[in-house]
Amino acid sequence: MIRRDFSERDIHMALDGELPGDERAAYDAWLDANPEMKARSARFAADRAALRAAFAGVLDEAVPARLRKVVLGETPVRAAASRSRWWLAAAAAVLVVAGGLGGYLAGIDRAGQEDPAEDRLAEQAIAAHVVFAAEKRHAVEVPASDKDHLQTWLSNRVGLKLVAPDLTANGFQLIGGRLLPAGESKAAMLLYEDDKGERISLFVTAESAQNAKGTYTSAQNGPQAVYWLDKGYGCAVVGSLPREQLAVVAKSAYGQLLAGLAS
Amino acid sequence: MDEKKAAILGEIPRLRRYARSLLRDRDAADDLVQDCLERALVRLDNWQTGESPRRWLFTIMHHLFIDQMRKVNRRGEATMLPLEAGEAVAQPAEQVESIASREIIDALQAISPDRRAALVMVAIEGFSYAEAANILGVPAGTLMSRIARGREELRGLLDDTARRRAIRIVEK
Repeated sequence: MIRRDFSERDIHMALDGELPGDERAAYDAWLDANPEMKARSARFAADRAALRAAFAGVLDEAVPARLRKVVLGETPVRAAASRSRWWLAAAAAVLVVAGGLGGYLAGIDRAGQEDPAEDRLAEQAIAAHVVFAAEKRHAVEVPASDKDHLQTWLSNRVGLKLVAPDLTANGFQLIGGRLLPAGESKAAMLLYEDDKGERISLFVTAESAQNAKGTYTSAQNGPQAVYWLDKGYGCAVVGSLPREQLAVVAKSAYGQLLAGLAS
Repeated sequence: MDEKKAAILGEIPRLRRYARSLLRDRDAADDLVQDCLERALVRLDNWQTGESPRRWLFTIMHHLFIDQMRKVNRRGEATMLPLEAGEAVAQPAEQVESIASREIIDALQAISPDRRAALVMVAIEGFSYAEAANILGVPAGTLMSRIARGREELRGLLDDTARRRAIRIVEK
């Protein structure tokens, strides 16, 4: 039997089939003598099994026709620009949203840090939506009939030039807005409603030092937030619409907000 | 159909699985596979018949992925990307995932792309360290440290998720 010192590195090698065969017996003996290492090895093995199981189904899926066609040469010259850009953006969203999920790198590189800013923004926006969108008579402090005052007041309080986006093209009418606390600063909430009584809200705060965008859901079947953070402000659109529809409304709202901020 | 094309077709399921583990969103992952296949077909001569196209295709796809991630990072810092309908969403709703699967997929997405790729290449795709290092274009030592760190990170994230779940249950 080969005698040498083993370390955690060998756990990975053993798991990945990279440990030389003649070291295996000595490695197993080392594991048996080190319960902590043995537990770690078992944990990594279990995580790997879970990973494999999570993606196993992909191999059984039917290959999408568009992929077959590429190989068989049946696809005319591709619409490359649009597609590439789309997955690029999806990748960006993945980067951002992944960061918001599961306590970003908790316990590893960023132990002890607070939730990322985008988590906080989305959570505040969702909380406000859950409380106020459900209110019939007291949903807003200032009604849409007093829109000019609403915009001026919220702009002054939040510290941003706020223009309430016109979402009628998306079927939503402004009901009004209110001022809310957002951590140590203030946020403006604008509430909209469609003709079926479905409500969405826009949550805007002036406090943000980073760029990010993505979506966030705090609970299963709960409302979803589509958010952006940029230098100087953060914005979230919250609602229980189907996600594609919410994304469309959010895009429209965001475009108008940006135009308003710059005006 | 020629032999090369048949062999490439046979690799699509594996390419899709790798892409899905890198990008989560099903359509985005298939777009990555499509980009990879298109590039492969243009460079068909680079691949020697008789050799499995797997490593060749994985190398092409990995380069596409890493290039794009770098672009995203650069752009992400400078400006925000225009938001198209549905594109802000990273979680595919159509997929039926168990809670355990969803948790581990979320955790996998949260680790850095380099570590994610290294870990997936070895732990899911079953490449040897030498093969994976070759595909990813890094020395074996770098690959090993990415795998080790990736596994640690994944474990930490899963523990954290489990803790949060426990807190949520207690709060109810």
